[in-house]
Amino acid sequence: MEKKIVESKAYKEWEKSIKSNPLVYDQEGKVFKTESGIPMKALYTPDDLDDIGFDYEKEVGYPGYFPNTRGIDPSMYRGSMFRLKQYVGFGSPEETNRLYKYLIEQGQNAISIAYDLPTQSGYDSDDPRVEGEVGKIGVPICSLKDWEVITDGIDLEKILVNSVCNAQASVAMAWHIATAEKRGIKEKNLKGLVQNDILKEFIARGNYVFPPEPSMRLVVDMIVYAAKNVPNYVPMYICPYHIREAGSNAIQEIAFGLCNGIAYIEEAFKRGLNIDNIAPRITCLITGRHRDFLEEICKFRAIRRMWARLMKERFGAKDPRSYRLSMWDYEGGIGFTPDQHEINMARAAIAAMAGALGGVQDIGLCTLDEALGTPSEKALTLALRTAQIVAFETGVTHTIDPLAGSYFIEYLTHELETKANEYIKKVDELGGMVKAVEKGYPQREILKSAYDYQMAEEKGERVVIAGNKFVSEKREKIRGFYRPQPKMVQKHIRNLKQMREERENGKVKTALANLKKAAEKPAGNKNNLMPPIIEAVKAYATVGEIMGALREIFGEYQEVTGL
Amino acid sequence: MNEGGKIRVLLAKPGLDGHDRGVKVVALALRNAGMEVIYLGRHKTPKEIVEAAIQEDVNVIGLSNLSGSYKELFPKVARLLKKNGVENVRVIGGGIILDDDIAALEKLGMKIFPIGSRTDEIIEYIRKCVRDQGAS
Repeated sequence: MEKKIVESKAYKEWEKSIKSNPLVYDQEGKVFKTESGIPMKALYTPDDLDDIGFDYEKEVGYPGYFPNTRGIDPSMYRGSMFRLKQYVGFGSPEETNRLYKYLIEQGQNAISIAYDLPTQSGYDSDDPRVEGEVGKIGVPICSLKDWEVITDGIDLEKILVNSVCNAQASVAMAWHIATAEKRGIKEKNLKGLVQNDILKEFIARGNYVFPPEPSMRLVVDMIVYAAKNVPNYVPMYICPYHIREAGSNAIQEIAFGLCNGIAYIEEAFKRGLNIDNIAPRITCLITGRHRDFLEEICKFRAIRRMWARLMKERFGAKDPRSYRLSMWDYEGGIGFTPDQHEINMARAAIAAMAGALGGVQDIGLCTLDEALGTPSEKALTLALRTAQIVAFETGVTHTIDPLAGSYFIEYLTHELETKANEYIKKVDELGGMVKAVEKGYPQREILKSAYDYQMAEEKGERVVIAGNKFVSEKREKIRGFYRPQPKMVQKHIRNLKQMREERENGKVKTALANLKKAAEKPAGNKNNLMPPIIEAVKAYATVGEIMGALREIFGEYQEVTGL
Repeated sequence: MNEGGKIRVLLAKPGLDGHDRGVKVVALALRNAGMEVIYLGRHKTPKEIVEAAIQEDVNVIGLSNLSGSYKELFPKVARLLKKNGVENVRVIGGGIILDDDIAALEKLGMKIFPIGSRTDEIIEYIRKCVRDQGAS
């Protein structure tokens, strides 16, 4: 057997020079560790690859081929650059449409619609329950009419449109289908995405409406509908992103995100779908932070490999497309500071680098002012430019997975996979994610990490420039945020009322009655709720009316806080 | 305060905003500091929050909002407390509160802890409020 590096004279000599200082030597990770707490030694060598049983063909291989560690496409950025996808929407459909067109001119090549909270929660803009929420953190879309306005003049065949909708994802998918149909795009050719990851709403994001059982029913109805009718559409993408933004570490982010995916897949099996008819249509939204730069890169590689292995080994997938997890990487802004906010651009740049080195398919970046409000047009443009610099000036995209083979990178990728698998095993032992959510398990784990994170910052253990170090005496006020003009919101509400009068209300009544009838029946392919929802949407039933009808049948979720 | 002398705090998220990382971290911190914390959860109306606060006989109400609806909903909580004749309950708030809005909210008697606030600041502030309440 080859003599280990650590036994060599040269290594021992180096080690001696730092061993005398325990703070530097720190093999246990008391001082030097990744964001998720994995110790970082001072030096990694070929021995570390031996220790993890590193086998190039098995663990790393080739991009586009199982296990896709190096990327999901054989040519990666040499063939096609990562897309720029900012999450945008506010005020009114007209205003947002104008902004989308501007951003497309600036190089954004995929649209991610940020809907306002009333829309996401299934309320119309004039519902008294949603006072103060209309148009603030997203665009109000009450009916198909609004969706037609927001996508007016945007080529749905060239620009990928993504709806960040979950509880009412079915309605958003119906808006997309109905609008495309009006423009001559057939369902079987339609490309697009809708988030539809309801489990992460229960454990992290908080925009749920119905209890878990009917929520899962809707998710799977959409997966089945897409498999049969809209094969080029992504009816659900797993969201490790929100789990991380809610406070988890990178290991929990990977694990809980994948566990949610496993839950939906297993539910879809009950409807007679086979894995190769499900997996190719699932993608992923994941954070891409500046901190911890190296761990983030390893995280992308680890989750890609884990997804491939899950599909093949747990579910028996055979189609190579099932092994590929397409990722939209978003720098979510948790580490951004309101003080000296210009430095957030540096953070975003570093985060974009992590994404590019990690081989993701889309990159979105929080803007420099997003720590304090809905961003300005200028801030959005700067975010695009930041990602464009990474794409076109740094050269990191000229070769595929350039960090592969690094002793530390391969070690950490392996370590993240090992630790994330421990969490997946735990969730399996609890009976799957739905049961785990009912028991509050992921909620408690995430809160623990969030609390530790906050304490580390308050104690100064985690340095945050302009957060707990080099803080301004007096923070400069940030101005120029977007605020929806009251007149704009009032106009939108007038349009809504007018639309309600002008549509064929008999058709709406019938469609809602049909929907309720279908919802009352048990879950199953015979009672798929997508067709009646599409019918209602085409009749210009509003999101409030459709979700209101379903609320009557399904009721509302009572939160398990984990506190 | 209850007989045990513990400070009682009700925390809640008014409106539709679901981001509860901050408010839950605060809840844990207050609990670890020896306070009795009732976390009402998400999607609460000002009416539900005030009713719970009265029922639970709290010293402090903490509101969290990141969706911009604090502008309408935080003042509503203050108004409802006044309407119900509740005098000795301090309202604190956090989340994403625009700089330009802080002064107006604090004029209504509430204390805003914007982004970047520390849990020990909040704990100290609550303790001081309750000491002052006791003294009056």
